[in-house]
Amino acid sequence: MAVATPAAQAQPASQAVRGRQRRQREEELLVWPDLVFVEFISAVVFTITFTILAYMVDALLLDRADPAVTPNPSKAPWYFLNLQELLLHMHPALAGVIVPTVALIALGAIPYFDTDNEGQGEWLSTARAWPITAVGAVVGAAGTTLLILYDAGKHVQVYEMIANGTWSPDPDAPGFVGWPSWLGWATNLRAIQNDISWPEELTRVPLGSKVLRTDLLGLPAIDLDVNLPAVLVEQIIPVTMMIGLPLLLSFVAARVGLARTKRDHMILQFSGFIATFLTLTIIGTYFRGAGLELVPYTIFVGDH
Amino acid sequence: MVREREEWGLLMAATERPEGRGLGDRLYDGIFHNRVWRSIFRSGYPNTPRNQMLAVATNVFLHLHPTRIHRTHVKITHTFCLGGLSFFLFLGLTITGVLLMFYYVPSVDRAYQDILALDTDVRFGQLMRNIHRWMAHGMVLTVLMHMMRVFYTGAYKPPREFNWVVGVVLLVLTLLLSFTGYLLPWDQLAIWAITVGTNMVGSAPILGEPNRFILVGGFQVGQAALIRFYTLHVIGLPLLAAVFMTVHFWRIRRDGGLARPL
Ligand code: HEM
Repeated sequence: MAVATPAAQAQPASQAVRGRQRRQREEELLVWPDLVFVEFISAVVFTITFTILAYMVDALLLDRADPAVTPNPSKAPWYFLNLQELLLHMHPALAGVIVPTVALIALGAIPYFDTDNEGQGEWLSTARAWPITAVGAVVGAAGTTLLILYDAGKHVQVYEMIANGTWSPDPDAPGFVGWPSWLGWATNLRAIQNDISWPEELTRVPLGSKVLRTDLLGLPAIDLDVNLPAVLVEQIIPVTMMIGLPLLLSFVAARVGLARTKRDHMILQFSGFIATFLTLTIIGTYFRGAGLELVPYTIFVGDH
Repeated sequence: MVREREEWGLLMAATERPEGRGLGDRLYDGIFHNRVWRSIFRSGYPNTPRNQMLAVATNVFLHLHPTRIHRTHVKITHTFCLGGLSFFLFLGLTITGVLLMFYYVPSVDRAYQDILALDTDVRFGQLMRNIHRWMAHGMVLTVLMHMMRVFYTGAYKPPREFNWVVGVVLLVLTLLLSFTGYLLPWDQLAIWAITVGTNMVGSAPILGEPNRFILVGGFQVGQAALIRFYTLHVIGLPLLAAVFMTVHFWRIRRDGGLARPL
């Protein structure tokens, strides 16, 4: 399909142009039969596949819905477990609404950022595309996993295992070496809020009576005490991570000469995003058990 | 290159050279030249390139396709058929969904019983429900993978920017279709998954709680939520998705077929 640009139409059909058009025609196949048959065959193959699958594996049906009995854990459908996983690490408004909204807008905006025609119509055809994909995917998956392990305090367990030289150290045993108390704030994200004795001026910033003086406008005064350490832990740190780490990745990749063009950065970020998305989904699905603790879990075994 | 050109020539010659009438021809005429066939399709089996193009261009279903496509795009590994599969699954879900509707009443008193009956009493009921369920999961997967294939083949670049955006809308609609269907069996899995999901909406600043209330039709997931989700699931969202798919397919043609190297 030669898209007739105005410029091409204006030109007299020279020998060269006609030659090129003929060559393009020869590269083309007829939709009937070539494509229609491929479509037909795959429709048949997939109808059979799904029928066999449906014959062998039954869809789940648990007990009748009971609003009084909350299952533990309660989980969203699998494709939203990535968001439910985020929910454990940050403010619910961020995880449940703002992050997905921004992510979808960013996804939709990809073609408006990356506008040059380079690398079109072929799998990863630009230079360095494969290594960039690999780096993005590995960094995304590993970074997400490490952050989740940190927030679950796994590094504390590892430290105690090594320090005591045994797989399951017993905190009551004599000579037990624990996580150093001066590093208490570094056991997980929430510890930054809870383990540091923040002064009262920071944990109760009276925005209502000091800054947003609605009473001066004749409106009722609002009661808005802001807990800064909580804002730091639930909002500022997560947002900084979610924006900062991808930027850092792009920055480093540009520095070492891995990512040079816009398409390069796009591939890097998209691969990182997909890997993060998958990692969150997998952890949310298979590694969140009762109380949403970080333990292996599957819905298909055990009693519900 | 030269060899390909020769093959092409042979193909043209073989299909357009008239031959004597054998058994095959008579069978062919019997099937394709009778009044009934002619009244439906207006022409015989398309056996010349000209007729094959006409067949695609004049058939209401086939004419979503262009009449010719580039060689590389028929290769399975270019698209892995993922967009086509998503569409195929959408059609399959529509068919099995209509069958399920025969047996299902969206009321908190009956919904669970109806699904149970479907699994135990209705002939092929369990099979229908299973196919619908697995196709729904499958469609979420194929749409996500289709998006990845479009990204990694750089097919979102000009002039296809807008079709990528239409695609993102389709992705959201696919997720919503699946999510609304999740509530319908009215079992513990269903209502708690929807409770968790809709609570996420409720956590948005300012507009969250009103939106959650509208979506669920109350303070907790109950009859109002069930009928809302059901209506969205069986008519609202499928219609929207069909409209966006039409635009999506039409844009593929308008943008000059699938993307290919410059
Ligand atoms: C219900 C969901 C969808 C359906 C049924 C669908 C269907 C299709 C089909 C049949 C094609 C033809 C080529 C192929 O099979 O790969 C296609 C191409 C395309 N799709 Fe989708 N699609 C869906 C979702 C999406 C999504 C989520 C995106 C991206 C965010 C997207 C972006 C595109 C683009 C840009 C093309 C043109 C590709 C090219 O030129 O090579 N689509 N779609």
